[in-house]
Amino acid sequence: MKKKGRIMLYIMICAMCAAFWGCGDQEEEIPMGRYADREVELPPGTFEYMHPCPDGSYYLYGMDTELTYVDAQGESKGKDRSWESNANIHVKYAVGVSDEGASVFAYTPRFWNDEEMEALWIAGDIRYLYYYVDEKGQKQALEPHGEGYEKATNLNTFAFSPEGELYAASDHAVYRVNVGNGEVESLFATGEQVKSIVFGGDVMLAADDGKAYFYDRAEGKLLGGSSVLDEFLSSHSTGGLVLAVSDKDMQGNVMPDSSKNDGDGGADAPADSEGGGASGAGMGDDGGNAQILYMACRTGLYRYIWGGSVIEQIADGQMTALGDTQRSPRAMQALDNGAFRVLFDGNYMVEMYYDETLPARPAKELTVYSLEENGWIRYAGQLFQKEHPDVLVRYETGMDGDNAVSREDALKNLNTRLLAGEAPDVIVMDRMDIEQYADKGVLRELDGILQPYLDDGILYRNIVEGMRMTEKNKIYSVPMMVYLPLWLGEKTYLEGEDSLEDIIAGMEKARQKHPEGAILYTLYPKDVLLQTMPVCLPAWTSKDGSLDVEKLTAYYQAVRKMWEIDSAGFDDAGREAWQKNNMEWYEPEDMDMVDIGFNFQYAAQQNFGETWLQLGFLMTPQVGMTGIHVNKANMAADWQEKELEDVVTFDAYTGQADNVYWARTIVGLCEQGKEPELAEEYMNLLLSDPMMRKWWLDKPRNRSGLTIRKDSLDDILDIDNIEFGQTMGFKDPTGINRPNFWPTEEEKQWLYQMMEDASCCYRPGTMLEECATKVGVRVLAGELTPEEGAKEVERKMAIEMEE
Amino acid sequence: MRWRSKRLLFLLPGFAGVMLFYLLPFLEVVRRSFLKSGNSAFVGIDNYRAVLENGAFVLAVRNTFLYMAVGVPLLMGISLILSLLLRNLLMRRRLVSAMLLPMAVPAAVMVLTLQILIDRQGVINGMLTKISEQITALPAFEAIDYLNTEWALFVVVCSFLWKNTGYMVILWLAGLAALPKEVEEAAQVDGANRWQNWHYIIRPGLSGSFFTIGMLSVLQIFKSYREVWMVAGSYPQAHIYFLQHLLQNWYLKLEFDRMAALTVIMSLVLLIVCLFLQKKLG
Repeated sequence: MKKKGRIMLYIMICAMCAAFWGCGDQEEEIPMGRYADREVELPPGTFEYMHPCPDGSYYLYGMDTELTYVDAQGESKGKDRSWESNANIHVKYAVGVSDEGASVFAYTPRFWNDEEMEALWIAGDIRYLYYYVDEKGQKQALEPHGEGYEKATNLNTFAFSPEGELYAASDHAVYRVNVGNGEVESLFATGEQVKSIVFGGDVMLAADDGKAYFYDRAEGKLLGGSSVLDEFLSSHSTGGLVLAVSDKDMQGNVMPDSSKNDGDGGADAPADSEGGGASGAGMGDDGGNAQILYMACRTGLYRYIWGGSVIEQIADGQMTALGDTQRSPRAMQALDNGAFRVLFDGNYMVEMYYDETLPARPAKELTVYSLEENGWIRYAGQLFQKEHPDVLVRYETGMDGDNAVSREDALKNLNTRLLAGEAPDVIVMDRMDIEQYADKGVLRELDGILQPYLDDGILYRNIVEGMRMTEKNKIYSVPMMVYLPLWLGEKTYLEGEDSLEDIIAGMEKARQKHPEGAILYTLYPKDVLLQTMPVCLPAWTSKDGSLDVEKLTAYYQAVRKMWEIDSAGFDDAGREAWQKNNMEWYEPEDMDMVDIGFNFQYAAQQNFGETWLQLGFLMTPQVGMTGIHVNKANMAADWQEKELEDVVTFDAYTGQADNVYWARTIVGLCEQGKEPELAEEYMNLLLSDPMMRKWWLDKPRNRSGLTIRKDSLDDILDIDNIEFGQTMGFKDPTGINRPNFWPTEEEKQWLYQMMEDASCCYRPGTMLEECATKVGVRVLAGELTPEEGAKEVERKMAIEMEE
Repeated sequence: MRWRSKRLLFLLPGFAGVMLFYLLPFLEVVRRSFLKSGNSAFVGIDNYRAVLENGAFVLAVRNTFLYMAVGVPLLMGISLILSLLLRNLLMRRRLVSAMLLPMAVPAAVMVLTLQILIDRQGVINGMLTKISEQITALPAFEAIDYLNTEWALFVVVCSFLWKNTGYMVILWLAGLAALPKEVEEAAQVDGANRWQNWHYIIRPGLSGSFFTIGMLSVLQIFKSYREVWMVAGSYPQAHIYFLQHLLQNWYLKLEFDRMAALTVIMSLVLLIVCLFLQKKLG
């Protein structure tokens, strides 16, 4: 018995050891072969649409560019349809092209010549007009009509079948359209707007953002769907999803249709047996080959064998151009050799090809971490990866939009990683306590990396030096961009030294002239704090970290006065109406400092005529500067006083701290990172001119900031470097969209001087800011006096200091 | 195999789990408490000294013990009285089920309710203002911001009692149910009054429950941090700044060395409290 017991004991210990076996690092052999991509040179023009042809050729089309045919060898030929590209005549919304070059368009005239039609359009009785151009270039109006088809129906998606039949989709149905007489036959209803229509044999697949519809064109009936495909569409459509059908696999081999052999229905098990499943007749082509649906989106390239139950990823988005968050795929072509052409917005096309010489995943990995998504940083990762094919740049965000992780939880997760020795290589320090991380040895000193840039005068020294930690006299992080404080209004209101008192004096003057309505653009008490705190907060703490209660009290007194002046123009109902009118694009609960700055350029434009002074941040060199001019012009127009254009002006404002700049995209390197050399290279890439000039990529809301690299800032402000379409139309050659508001030489010099002077760094997200904002709201609401508020902050900060 | 060996064999999986997931990590924490975070240099008892000299630590310890000293006896006392009252009631089960409801309320809902009640413009202030307006003899009532004044601890203790009383009542009722009824009946026949019945029969019979419920109450004090954090944030009013606030904030500030030292100190204190309670009540 005793012996048996011992044996049992040993067996249990062995079982436990076996259970924990394999927990450590193990060397593994990386298999070879993965998809790589190369850029395809596009013909001159701006293209937003591609129609793939079966022989490898394709048609390109842009809303303002004529139809262009590119043969399988890459030679392009215009279709001599320059009349189609006249932007001043048509505003086009959708296009469909056939294999032979026939095309159909949905459009509205830029200027209505027909009053009757215009009236119908305004009333909503018609939406788009359509015309059809046959393969010879003969244009004719297309007037869709038929049983159950209403004129107000919006046909947004077009596709020609291989036989030349036109199919179209509205937001609730798919139709077959007779291009000869415009007769429309409703085929089946859909839940949402169908975005893509592709053909495989007799079966047409129409896909919206959550469901795939298989329609048997020969039998004229809807086949069963595929739950696996529906699920995929639901989760992958954000950011663009494009489809292509082929009977070839990745190596270009024909896929036999197993359903033709065993009658089982599909290559794999039927996906969804409901309604007969998607594996019914016609899923393969006439030659008995299986049809493969390829799908490309930001997360990668996927394939699905029609009728199957599995979707397989064949290329990781992060390792190809697909992962570029700044570009969305618009169309895809599957080629016979297993390669793919993908057209992205921004006039960019790549060919993705299977390279057997590349390892399935790169041997080295560079980890980049930021609390929140940063498009510029993500783009840098893709650029770095392109330059280093043997490196995978893994970009991780602590608080991505899909989950509800708070900032505090994200920081805890990061700290746990650091504690476990799994530090990322690069950290974006926005909204993080840089001093704390530097103190604890997490961050690497950057003086060595930055010195050459400073010695050569490439970077604004004052901005970089503003990040120097006084105690250690070293720099541990560097902002890639900055915002500068700015106020805008009538000259008489902006007289003075631009301090808080001057702003109050300006507001009082404005209030005398305009007794009703808002003076500043503020909906809630918090907004006053958001607009003024960045230029005051750096002045509240002394070098030893103690709080200057007097300055904080003065600040609360000033903002309270500002709020009182602003509130004097409203009664309760008026304030409520003002808030309600602005709620459409202004969400106070989600507001942070960024959005206030953002408002300065965009949202507030809507409200000139209702607000008389603006405090905000100059966020971007080009749009920001031109935005000032637009604001000025709008002010003058909205106030119905054209001469005001000359009296409206802008200037920097200082608040309680001088020469404040708001640091953005603050990057540091981790001391414990696994790839220190690669991290250094990555930092150099971030500081390079080509990367800094990629400011416009952070669209549609441009929040990148003013670059800390002098030559890049200069380049961005050079109008000759800007292509039309990338600047909100400020350089519109037609002169129709907007007049040219480009900054003058004098304004450019003013901006450069502001950059040279900026030396006091404001970083959002500190404990003091959070505390002062919470208490400040109570001060403005009258719950606390400014003195009580300052004391309250002092009490709370005392605990923090003690910690 | 002897019975002793067999018992050991059955204990082994559980013991291995405790070793792996509790004791070994705790030993690692002890080790780290003697090292500096960042470069892992040995610093002796410097971390312990830093913790004990830290003003925030002193404040947090004082508040936590005050909270415990007020909350635990109140919780135990109120729940015991309620259980004694409910003991012989026919509708006991339904009432007890109702009392358990606060435990089922999600923390977020509880916090929201609390805010509606105690906000400066909340229900309580509104009611008190109306009362003072109605009764002119009373002085004018000025709305109180409960969570930002000395009232904060009172609010936290009230919410703690509201949430945990039902659960503790059940535990007391279980303890009372285990008492042999014959002894009480015999005492009643012998002429014992209610006080004598409580003092000589019920109280000694519940001594085991006292220990269990006492320990659980202490643990509930530590677990109630979540609600306090949700309602008042990482830096609440000074009277409701507890040890968990300090630990959380240190974690965010990468003060792992101090955290380790504080954890060791807290574990030792809890162990001593536990042993003391066991000796006195167990």
